Amino acid sequence: MTKLGRQLGIGPTDNTSDQRTPRKRLRLIPEAVRESFVPVVPARAVTRQYEWDMTRISPDLPRADGDAIEVSGTLRTADGKPVRGALLEIWNANHYGRYRHVEDHSGLKLDENFFGMGRVLTDYDGTYRFWTISPGAYLARPDIGRWRPKHIHLSISGGPVRLITQMYFPDEPNNATDPMAILMGDAFGRNMGKPYATPDIDVDQGYRFDIVAGGRNATFFE
Amino acid sequence: MSEEQRANALLPTNEDTCGPYFPIYFGDDSLEDLTRIHSGVVAGASGQHIILRGRVLDRHGNLAHGVVMEFWQANAMGIYRTPGTEGHPDIDPWFSGYGRLRSHSGEYSFCTIMPGPAPGRAPNITVTLFSDGINRIVTQLFFADHPANDGDPLLLGLDPEDRDRLMARRDGTAAAGAEIYRFDIVMAGDNETPFFDDLES
Ligand SMILES: [Fe+3]
Repeated sequence: MTKLGRQLGIGPTDNTSDQRTPRKRLRLIPEAVRESFVPVVPARAVTRQYEWDMTRISPDLPRADGDAIEVSGTLRTADGKPVRGALLEIWNANHYGRYRHVEDHSGLKLDENFFGMGRVLTDYDGTYRFWTISPGAYLARPDIGRWRPKHIHLSISGGPVRLITQMYFPDEPNNATDPMAILMGDAFGRNMGKPYATPDIDVDQGYRFDIVAGGRNATFFE
Repeated sequence: MSEEQRANALLPTNEDTCGPYFPIYFGDDSLEDLTRIHSGVVAGASGQHIILRGRVLDRHGNLAHGVVMEFWQANAMGIYRTPGTEGHPDIDPWFSGYGRLRSHSGEYSFCTIMPGPAPGRAPNITVTLFSDGINRIVTQLFFADHPANDGDPLLLGLDPEDRDRLMARRDGTAAAGAEIYRFDIVMAGDNETPFFDDLES
């Protein structure tokens, strides 16, 4: 094979990135086997009725600390087609920057009213919507004082669409120094939620996040 | 995509790391064992049961804790379940071919069936890795000593060392009759697993 694919970048000041990023250029996939590299994720309706509202553990329990936000948008492929029935798995830190995950040993405050994980499906038009608490930033590298900016993790799967990404918040002080943001370069803006006012619903702020599943995989079976 | 379509294409959302805290809560037993649908249900995939076991290692040979692994494969008849094979007589209604697990330690075990050879291919399983520090990376594993390996177009494009790094090796039989295969992934460093570029290819 003469031509090679991308050389993956290593996030500056990110130890795990240094330990886990392949050093060799990726190999190109021969055309004859290209299709076999496109997983088709079966439809999975593993959502529970109240999971779209992550601002409280269940409707009969109080709101968690911090600002309640709505995140909404569309999921489309690069050619503009809506992706229906895709599963969004969402997780974010609480108001204090702590995840309710057994491997989060940060010692930051847990909020007894915040679960921090939810799932929603895109509807017929490829739109989605969920509520959560605006996450706290957290200190990812105490040794060098590097923070991770506020972010919401999203894992998106359905048919040939498979994408794990994060939504960031505009004008956050730690955005510029985030190693993942640095790797994205000018394209970082695409992962930014766009604020909108929410006068008629019971949240403090809305963020629009339109997601585009790129690459050939997403449009392979058309 | 034509030139015009390319010019009008929407700019893709950047992939990003899944970080260290991909929720264990999102785990789904039925995606970690593709041989059965659910206990108590008389249904399951056709084919030889296999257990794929191994380790995911970093550049220093340490276990890569917290990795998310996804698997994609053809059924025992060599048919992938895609929109393109809808209605195919050899589709197994009890087998989707898609699996997922998260490994706390970096060691993994995945129960599935031996994929049949797709036309022109040796039996293989596509493995997608997500982890802290990286975005999605993709490879394909094969089964050592399978005669079709010698003619597989993907393997033929690799040098012998890399071909060897994509071989799952037989490692005994489990009590219930499943054949055990071992496959380690080295994310970076001297013995690095070859990964493939499904964005540029
Ligand atoms: Fe995070």
